[in-house]
Amino acid sequence: MTALTVLYDPTCGLCRRAHEWLEQQRKLIELVFVPCKSAEARLRFPHLDHDLTANDLTVIGDQGEVFMGPKAWLMVLWALSQYREWAYRLSSPALLPTTRRVVSMISEHRYQISRATGLTR
Amino acid sequence: MTIGITTYLIYLSISIGLTIWVARTLHKNGRVFLVDVFHGNEALADSVNHLLVVGFYLINFGYVSLALKLGYDVATPQEGIEALSVKVGMVLLVLGAMHFFNLFIFSRMRRRASLVNGPPPVAPDAYTRVQEA
Repeated sequence: MTALTVLYDPTCGLCRRAHEWLEQQRKLIELVFVPCKSAEARLRFPHLDHDLTANDLTVIGDQGEVFMGPKAWLMVLWALSQYREWAYRLSSPALLPTTRRVVSMISEHRYQISRATGLTR
Repeated sequence: MTIGITTYLIYLSISIGLTIWVARTLHKNGRVFLVDVFHGNEALADSVNHLLVVGFYLINFGYVSLALKLGYDVATPQEGIEALSVKVGMVLLVLGAMHFFNLFIFSRMRRRASLVNGPPPVAPDAYTRVQEA
């Protein structure tokens, strides 16, 4: 795998901030950011259920591998040079359930978190 | 030659000898690690190995040199031996600490290198067709 396409939610401040942060990180795998449900996303992945990608972060590998929700978060971490170790740690059998819970919670409340932290622009 | 001077000379020869021995051990046995870290690139491994050993020598000889001065007079051979044991003991501890620090660096480099080629942490949920741009 040499590149990951990240379908992110451009309407959420937290996601935009995360996007900016990710752009600055050193990467082992190239990350391509495409707003979810955009024309570009539909053009690149014509068979994907795009309504589903609006609910949760979706990451797609260059061979068409689809990762959603917590798995997508772990894949993004895995792409970063400084955080690959964390991707393995958080996806270990002992920590994966917690990772899933925390990530789902953040994802579900992303608009509230954005508002509460003043990340809405 | 006074007992003080003799103590200094014995201190220097023991310290220098120990430093060279540890540096050589590191140089000889660290190479295998580094070749693995640099995926068989022996030229690069040898270069990094050499640079590490140079740093090791500089720090240790620096310490040996700074720690030479006793600060008091040594009158009897017994005092000389006691002074010597304190000084050599300190050098040994510094060498030991430096040695473990080097091992730590080696193992960290190795772990990092093995991560670079690591597989994805999770299996995909599904597959989709990718439209080539």
